[in-house]
Amino acid sequence: MALQPAAGVRDLNPREVEGNRRIADQLAAVYRLWGYQEVAPPSFERLDTLEAGGGIDGRELVRLASDEPLGLRPELTASIARAASTRLADRPRPLRLWAMGSTFRSSMAEGGSQRLHEQLQSGVELLGAQTAAADVELMRLLLAAAGALGLQAHHQPRLLVGHHGVLSALLRQLPEQQQGTARAALTNFDPLALAQLALPDSDRQRLGNLMRLRGEPAKVLYQLEQWLGPIPLLTELGETLVAVAPAAERLGVQLQLDPSFQPHFALYDGLVLKLVCQGQEVPVEIASGGRYDALVGRFCPEPREAAGVGFGFDVGAVRELVAPAIESPAPVLVAYGNPKHLSAALNQLEALHQAGTCAELLSGACSNQAEAEALGQARGCGRTLWIAP
Amino acid sequence: MITVALAKGALLKDSVARFAAAGLDFAGLLEPGNRQLMVPSACGQARALLVRNADVPVYVAYGQAQLGVVGYDVIREHQLPVAQLLDLGFGGCRMSVAVKASSGYRRASELPAHCRVASKFTGCAQAFFDALDLPVELIHLAGSVELGPITGMSEAIVDLVATGRTLEENGLIAIEDLFHSTARLVGHPLALRLDDGPLQGIVDRIALVATPRGR
Repeated sequence: MALQPAAGVRDLNPREVEGNRRIADQLAAVYRLWGYQEVAPPSFERLDTLEAGGGIDGRELVRLASDEPLGLRPELTASIARAASTRLADRPRPLRLWAMGSTFRSSMAEGGSQRLHEQLQSGVELLGAQTAAADVELMRLLLAAAGALGLQAHHQPRLLVGHHGVLSALLRQLPEQQQGTARAALTNFDPLALAQLALPDSDRQRLGNLMRLRGEPAKVLYQLEQWLGPIPLLTELGETLVAVAPAAERLGVQLQLDPSFQPHFALYDGLVLKLVCQGQEVPVEIASGGRYDALVGRFCPEPREAAGVGFGFDVGAVRELVAPAIESPAPVLVAYGNPKHLSAALNQLEALHQAGTCAELLSGACSNQAEAEALGQARGCGRTLWIAP
Repeated sequence: MITVALAKGALLKDSVARFAAAGLDFAGLLEPGNRQLMVPSACGQARALLVRNADVPVYVAYGQAQLGVVGYDVIREHQLPVAQLLDLGFGGCRMSVAVKASSGYRRASELPAHCRVASKFTGCAQAFFDALDLPVELIHLAGSVELGPITGMSEAIVDLVATGRTLEENGLIAIEDLFHSTARLVGHPLALRLDDGPLQGIVDRIALVATPRGR
């Protein structure tokens, strides 16, 4: 019998589960205040839905052995976009939805064996709004949700903001056959690959400068405008960031415009976001998201409604980062000495429950009160209620 | 604090010299009799982890080290998400296919289909033979792979070749190169994006003293 879980997955203890629930509740309370309604997308879907039009590498999907090509969801967005365009198609736009659940990814471990990763995600999707106002709402909501998590100054929260369209506009200045390699080199932070591109020195130099360009939005936007001219995309991005800046400042989140940043999953075709905090030793990514209009367009026949923005928090990563204080009440142990008193003990137990007191039963009769109290202490009970024989 | 992962063995001396030129002195790692695996820099601003060659990209990919020095062969073999920042030029060698000199094979594509190939670098070997469209049976060995063809266990090996003397002394010859490998400075991509200057400063100072091949 296998005593270990499958490679890569974890057993959570009660404290960790309670921590996750606390964080998920904090996030959900914020989503609800902003008018978002909860949905529960399925844990598994058809593979073509999960692959999100090529945005997600099929090798990262955990496939099910079934008659149909099915797999476990690697993220929540594609399933919600599908549901929004089918079952919820009649609802007025914009649709504001939130969801929480486990996501699953597969990777190849050293030696070629499969490794699974399970992650509890909580996030929102704002569907059917193509405007920059939706981008602003999403970022402000992300900040408001992060603000509810109890992040401290030493976590140094930083919101990385990129834009698929801006990066594409910069890459369009290169010969077409070099654009894909240059994009991969920039987003993977690979200056050696950039240096090997068959391009004039001036183009390589500019790409090198682009890889180093990040930081305070106004300065980065100024530099981008030198390269791209005053295009509407930059003006819009500038206005979005100006609208977000006061909330970021109030919450102590540093805004970093990072034109060459792209998230792991290539779902996005507009704004992209990643909220990063400083953990004890390493930076921790606690949320990511962005705009995914093309993904919605795969499911939605009405082009005007083919729009979506969303983000997801990694609940486990937040828990490990902020380590929420869990104060669960120590239960009362109800113990009895005579096996015939089981029913009386259960009556006492239920009386305590009705008074709102957490109480548990010692399973089986116990020889004396001292032994019952010792057992109660060992179980972490606050006190022991002894029913004498 | 900046943490740097350095590989034990042939690359260590040159790695320490490059960081020294960039202002981080890890000379303590080179002292005879040093048993410490984590050594602070003389300035106290950084620390170095002394790890096995193949573990350098692991420490960097997990973010425990922001920078590391490792051979390109290891990066190709383990395919971890690390940023390749600089070709440091030292530790040059080739990843080659070698066979018994008496075998008559002079190109990898001449090897018979489904033949056995022994290697420590089965990832690199698999990718190479896949690209050739030549199905082979790969045998993973932890070292002394030259014994594969000598004992008749395999027709060929894929291994690192520096001077070629080991091959020669064992009656083998290299017939095709997969790639040329040199030491690389690698970094944690997210740490580099979050860097406000110190990390990139080290990379730039090392770049001034790096001597990649071909320059």
